[in-house]
Amino acid sequence: MRRSLLLLVAVPAAMALHAQPMCEPIAARCEKHIATNFIPDGQFYRALLQGDEMAEFGLTLFGGSTYRVAACSGDSDGVLVFNVYDDARNLLYTNREHGNAPYWDLAVAHTLDVTLEAHLDPSKAGSGCAVMLIGFKQ
Amino acid sequence: MAKPYTNFTTLGLGLGILLSSCGGTPEAETNKDDNAVIQDDAGQGTQVLAIGGRSFGIPSPVQTAYAIRKAGLAYQKDLTTPLDKGDAVTGKSDQAILLGMYGADLAYVTVHRDGQRSLATMQAIEKLASKLELSNAFDRAMVDRFKANLGSEDSLLRFSGVAFRAADQYLKNNDRDDVSALVLAGGWVGSMHLTLSDPATATNQELLDRIGEQKSTLNGLVQLLGAAELDDRSTTIHKAMKELKTEFDAVTITYTYEKPVTDNAARTTYINSTSTVTISEDKLSAIKAKVDSIRNLILA
Repeated sequence: MRRSLLLLVAVPAAMALHAQPMCEPIAARCEKHIATNFIPDGQFYRALLQGDEMAEFGLTLFGGSTYRVAACSGDSDGVLVFNVYDDARNLLYTNREHGNAPYWDLAVAHTLDVTLEAHLDPSKAGSGCAVMLIGFKQ
Repeated sequence: MAKPYTNFTTLGLGLGILLSSCGGTPEAETNKDDNAVIQDDAGQGTQVLAIGGRSFGIPSPVQTAYAIRKAGLAYQKDLTTPLDKGDAVTGKSDQAILLGMYGADLAYVTVHRDGQRSLATMQAIEKLASKLELSNAFDRAMVDRFKANLGSEDSLLRFSGVAFRAADQYLKNNDRDDVSALVLAGGWVGSMHLTLSDPATATNQELLDRIGEQKSTLNGLVQLLGAAELDDRSTTIHKAMKELKTEFDAVTITYTYEKPVTDNAARTTYINSTSTVTISEDKLSAIKAKVDSIRNLILA
């Protein structure tokens, strides 16, 4: 029992300690998905996920803009599943239906508030750093 | 079954909860605001913030600058923050907020193709960023690259977006989420000031909509600041922003869902839902007065 508890504490502690080096290469890879015709929104979104944990953040998408959402984790593309919901919890987009696409564009006609959720694809990773980046163009 | 939630920009929440449940490292749990905010110290100096399990993205000031230009408002350089202010501020909070305001100004002067002012603003940002130990994002090479591309608006906006993102990444990697939140707050206040200062805004429906559409963003900012460790100065600004949020409560946004359309080949989903914003003349005046007051507070 004591050993189990020790592992329960030690494994996530080690993950937290190594979070920064773990996230850096993922962020560098993810940046490449924000093509040069998109302007980065100036923010860095990341979370350390384990198992079926879900990370989320709220965002306002302005009408007349096209947003590029890039979502990355692990050593290669396709590890992070992300969903976009409106405030009424209508699913607007999920990359699960597109082979866990590492990026997707959202062309927004009218301004709306959305929630972006992300979780690891359990068939590809049990834990890891999730990075999301956003760019836009008019 | 519902998935357990964590929030973006933070690390180690699961660890904090786990340690707590195991009777491990002591943790601090505080409710500093009306919103459910948990702060865990997971050890190793890692501060973890969970805002009701939710984090927030704040729209780029560049988008507001584009909206101002599209509305045809006259370019007024005098509306921007005095560039010598950066030399005068000493506290980290003031420096962070001012950095955000300069970011809003940089977007404004760049989309209006004022190259000289863009460069001067970037130089002011570089100096201020150095005080905040953000030279990894804004260094001399960045300024030189900016200078070499003064004729390309898109390049300048992209450079500044990349630099602010690098700064945000550095701050979050180094447990300085508080500074990150203050930079975002400064950028937002600066953008609102630039939008509201021209009387023509009151008769431009697109800009009125854009102002009303800031309601959720302001709510998110107030929550981000509520979760941060603030000094007296920034606590005063946070309080003023909460008062501004009260003014925004009267803004009505009506949203109607429409099914999105996806073009797989273009890797694009078209979101066609509609929304309308209602904001009264009186409320607009109240919002403008409060934004002015917050800006004056910052620049005092």
